[in-house]
Amino acid sequence: MSEERRDLREIVRDEMLVRDRVLAALESGPKTVPEIAAELGAPSYEVMHWVMAARKYGYLGESLPTEDGYYRYTLKAKE
Amino acid sequence: MDYDVLVVGGGTAGMEAALSLGDMGYSVLLAEQQASIGGTMILLSKVFPTLDCASCIATPKMAAAFHHPQVTTWTSTEVDEIRRDPDGTFRASLTRKATCVDPAKCTGCQQCELACTVAIPDQFNFGLVGRRAAYIPFSQAVPKKAVIDRYGDSPCTFACPAGIKAHGYVSLVRSGLFDAAMELILEDVPIPGCLGRACYAPCEEVCSRRELEGEVPIRLLKRFVADRYYAAHPEPAYGAPEQRRDGRVAVVGSGPAGLAAAYDLARKGYSVTIFEAAEQAGGMLRYAIPSYRLPNEVVDRDIANVTALGVEIRTGHRVESIGTLESAGFDAVFLACGTSRDRALGIEGEDQEGVVSSLAFLNRVNRGEAPDLRGKRVVVVGGGNVAIDSARVARRLGAQSVTIQYRRTRDEMPAFAWEIEGAVEEGVSFEYLRAPVRFVGENGALTGVESIDMRLGEPDESGRRRPVPVPGSERISAADLVVTAVGLETVSDLWAGDPRVGGRGTIAVDPLTLQTTILHVFAGGDCATGPTSIVAALGQGRRAAYFIDCLLSGRPLDGDGYDHRLAPVSHEVVLGRQASYRTAPADGKRERPGEERQHDFTETELALDEQQARAAAGRCLDCGGCCECHQCLKACPAEAIDFSQRDRVEQVHIGSVVVSTGFHLFDALRKPQYGYGRYPNVITAMQMDRLLTPTRPYDTVLRPSDGRIPESIAYVLCTGSRDCGVGNDLCSRVCCMYSIKQAELIMGALPLADITIYFIDIRAFGKGFDEFYEQARSMGVYFVKGRVARIEEAEGDNLALVYEDIANGGKVARAEHDLVVLSVGLLPNQDALRLFSNGDLRADEHHYVLEIDEDQTPARTSIEGVYAAGSSAAVMDIPDTILHAASAAALAGAYVERLKA
Repeated sequence: MSEERRDLREIVRDEMLVRDRVLAALESGPKTVPEIAAELGAPSYEVMHWVMAARKYGYLGESLPTEDGYYRYTLKAKE
Repeated sequence: MDYDVLVVGGGTAGMEAALSLGDMGYSVLLAEQQASIGGTMILLSKVFPTLDCASCIATPKMAAAFHHPQVTTWTSTEVDEIRRDPDGTFRASLTRKATCVDPAKCTGCQQCELACTVAIPDQFNFGLVGRRAAYIPFSQAVPKKAVIDRYGDSPCTFACPAGIKAHGYVSLVRSGLFDAAMELILEDVPIPGCLGRACYAPCEEVCSRRELEGEVPIRLLKRFVADRYYAAHPEPAYGAPEQRRDGRVAVVGSGPAGLAAAYDLARKGYSVTIFEAAEQAGGMLRYAIPSYRLPNEVVDRDIANVTALGVEIRTGHRVESIGTLESAGFDAVFLACGTSRDRALGIEGEDQEGVVSSLAFLNRVNRGEAPDLRGKRVVVVGGGNVAIDSARVARRLGAQSVTIQYRRTRDEMPAFAWEIEGAVEEGVSFEYLRAPVRFVGENGALTGVESIDMRLGEPDESGRRRPVPVPGSERISAADLVVTAVGLETVSDLWAGDPRVGGRGTIAVDPLTLQTTILHVFAGGDCATGPTSIVAALGQGRRAAYFIDCLLSGRPLDGDGYDHRLAPVSHEVVLGRQASYRTAPADGKRERPGEERQHDFTETELALDEQQARAAAGRCLDCGGCCECHQCLKACPAEAIDFSQRDRVEQVHIGSVVVSTGFHLFDALRKPQYGYGRYPNVITAMQMDRLLTPTRPYDTVLRPSDGRIPESIAYVLCTGSRDCGVGNDLCSRVCCMYSIKQAELIMGALPLADITIYFIDIRAFGKGFDEFYEQARSMGVYFVKGRVARIEEAEGDNLALVYEDIANGGKVARAEHDLVVLSVGLLPNQDALRLFSNGDLRADEHHYVLEIDEDQTPARTSIEGVYAAGSSAAVMDIPDTILHAASAAALAGAYVERLKA
């Protein structure tokens, strides 16, 4: 991880900007955080914030972990 | 006394002290600065060494304290000052912070949080995940009420003269809620299409982002929102309000001020008629702003927002006197007739053919009667935006040359810089420090301009340096057309002839209410202020509407409640929130190339597309916290959101004070060699505790770098404790045990994970602590005696710990893990030491509140009647905190008894 990390506040603030893209990335099926990061072209640790926020607010859920230790996140049907 | 005892701080100690005192029959005021009581304990997973659930222990205490009949709890409250009276009682000043939520109505349903569009790091999850500006602190919060973080007005919103919630619609654009953004703008003004193109955008001038790479293009975002909405809604989607009010209002003039007033009044249910002398409505919007900046169809669609409300616009109808409107039965009149006449230069030759005023010139062009200027030489006189508009229009009409003569320099020029640059790009030339002295002609037709050089003298009343002619520098330039644009003035016939008002020039009004000398006649916009701007005129119209409504509904016109703004948050505060900023190139100008655009009246400025708009809005720094997007207002089923709330200062008289202000966690950033804040997989023990709680943010323990389940977790004990290098030589007492607690919990959650605890020595001094330690060892937790010197990042976001391996001869060793937990120490919270303004609440040598007789009367402080509870006096674990708080409560109760005796 060679690049300079962005300030936490900046990463979190971007959540509102990026959420649609995170959700769009999952329309093709469940993905891990690194897989979502690759699709968005964003660092995994930033995507982690956005995925967990989307999970917190009910947009996402997770399935059982994969063999390599990652959860796959999947879109949740909104009520 | 208002209360027997004030308890400062609603954590474990504060709650215990309040409960003990309440149970003894004393009245207690429990003041907590957070939005929930419970302190740190409620955020923990389990307690050591019993591994009982922290929430299960804390939540009953929280509920008991909050609902105790003898205990009044004020959350979101800061204690500002406490003074001791000579009779031994105390007077405290407390600020109850506005939460913008009525707690009596809020049901804690969280709908506001789900709807909120501002994301902020969640302090209750120590930054592991975000929350919203509108939020419920945490699941077990007591009281479980939403609060809204509102630090003040965002500068952009505060700066808007029309009260448009700029931050709000920027935030909605960022979230992709474009229609909601339009609806928010329409809450305040009816003409977003015009503003999105022609507003001078005072919001952008104060944008905090300007201090970085450049302001957020707020005006262009408004245009994006309006254009997108109008494309989908060729007509307004609403009609006249069903609720009608008695009262007919006449508005004279259909420019921005008149439209804004009519819009606000019509939405309140009044019957409004606009009288417009011109053939079409819009005033300056239609007739003075060239269509390459503001197309007429945009003006039309904006005006439809007003007429859809049932407002009648009578065009071609010049009002001759105020009396005619009174006779027609109008209950109130708003004069908004603008500045419809150019000032004259007053020099020789001004009346001849070929010399026109800028308004007349632009008006003619906008009416579709543009003169053919092909091959003509045009001189524009003036330095304001109207002069620039005239020059750029002349270029579009084919003029061979267009020259602007301005009597000062570019620095003094009132036109906006981007307008000047635009004109230059389109081939307009400028003659600064030059002014006409006469217009030369033959047979009544213009042939040239005789002008003179100027120099700048002393500043005049406007603060600008006065231009002074340079004698002998006169010369004549050939010209076929001169456009004079040296200022606008109002036509005052309407009121000048009325003996109740009178006076030439702008009409005199009360600056607060815009009321004239006639009770029911108001005036605003340029006819009252002189030439200003579209958005300032809108603000005047809205002000007039507010006070006309007061008049017609019988409310006093004292202005109480008119200005809802909070103080703006300063750039220093905003920019100080982040350690660093990643900047992007500023958006810059977005215009068609000058060579291309100077030949037609197609819009010059390029619009943002959806992706560009969201990216631009994403640069917003959320200066004020809450952006006032009003999504929470719409979402709240209990109608509990209340933006009119303000901070309240309360004074209370009390008998005794218990200080239970707790501790601060050591900031791991102060140990840069451990990489916290730099390496995502270095976290603090408090963050790990959150990952282990039932309400955990990740639903399990995961690496923050990539969401992988960690396989090898290291604990670094004594981070910020027993460390003179960071100014804390004390042992924090709880770190060894909470780390062991976490290790055991992780072994339950992640049975395959290896856990290593790096320690100097394990302090297991309490009941059952040593057994707890041995239990962890027997479960397979590795204990390595060695001080960690530094942490480096290894491959795959793993971490290499470099440490002194004490058990193996003190050699320097290296070990790799995929998650590191820093067992941060506890530090004194010194806030309490500053509370007492006329007494010295003394601190011990470690900066905790001094217990002056620790052995015999623990909790007693240097001020009689003030008692320290829990970690305000020294770090201690939860059982010791409970005991200590009970001691403080007993002493406070005894003190109150002595007062009452």
